[in-house]
Amino acid sequence: MNENPAPMAIPEEDWKKIQRMLSKRSLWMIHFCTGCGAMEMPPTMTSRYDMERFGIIPMATPRQADLLLVTGYVAVKTLKRIVRVYEQMQDPKYVIAFGSCPINGGIYWDSYNIIKRLDKYIPVDLYIAGCMPRPEAIMDAFLKLMKDIDEGRADGWIRYRKYYDKYKANQMRVFKRWDE
Amino acid sequence: MKAIEIFKGLGLEYEELKVKGNRAPRYKARVDPEKLEDIIIRFKESGFKHFVALSVVDWIKDGNLELIYHMFSYETKEDVFLSIYLPRDEPKFKTLRHLFPQIETYEREAHEMFGIYFEGNDRLGEFILEDWDDMPPMRKDFDTEKYAKEKYESVPLVEEGGEKE
Repeated sequence: MNENPAPMAIPEEDWKKIQRMLSKRSLWMIHFCTGCGAMEMPPTMTSRYDMERFGIIPMATPRQADLLLVTGYVAVKTLKRIVRVYEQMQDPKYVIAFGSCPINGGIYWDSYNIIKRLDKYIPVDLYIAGCMPRPEAIMDAFLKLMKDIDEGRADGWIRYRKYYDKYKANQMRVFKRWDE
Repeated sequence: MKAIEIFKGLGLEYEELKVKGNRAPRYKARVDPEKLEDIIIRFKESGFKHFVALSVVDWIKDGNLELIYHMFSYETKEDVFLSIYLPRDEPKFKTLRHLFPQIETYEREAHEMFGIYFEGNDRLGEFILEDWDDMPPMRKDFDTEKYAKEKYESVPLVEEGGEKE
């Protein structure tokens, strides 16, 4: 091994703090429009509420995004695509579940095809309650998430690595196959 | 050609339906499943060129599934509903996708949601539902609440340590 490692100009702990401070200020967001929640995104993105003030911009591809927004109910078929999108994103990555449907099913509480609780299948950093949440609530959630990132509490992507087997086992309970 | 004239020419019994707030004429007729194809062809040739939808009703007490073929004429602005009854235990019918190509998609949906088999349609199979392993979910005797409880509530929460970076 290297016997004389170069002295770190910045200690490890401080370096992580700087990383977090920088990454919270430029969140690129991919919004997975599964339900009616997608309707609230245009006013949030455009000049009325203008989330670009906080450094959040919509991104087209998952591989360049830091933030995954699941906007609405999640069917079994959709969950498969969400997992696929989530696994393509690079670390660090954050998930916001949007509206009451990913929390407990919402109005689809007895539906045969809607998974009720999203964080049984992928780690969720932040939930926004409401049906639908208004753009103000979304902005508030973004600010809360930025605070969480800054303080190191938004650790969903670490949990996904640590409990990967458990998350995968839960996913495979609702999927019949994972190939395609 | 008016729908009434076509019905009279075919010797079919029909009833006139009335909807509150909508005075567009609409007629419903129950027909013999074997004669349905000829009747649809007759309507198609007489101006009913728009196939609107194929819907299914589950009459669980009578043990029947009702298939309703909705057609519309742009010339006379009339709706016609032709309905046939199939036994609930083994619903089987022939495909009519050669008359209107969009029937194929409706048949795939009816097959998936109600379990009706359409002979001659080779695209029946997995359509909207993915990874489905139970009876067709739109049937009246399917208990959706029980299914949801068993399938989704039994999934355990992933234990979390809440560790930090």
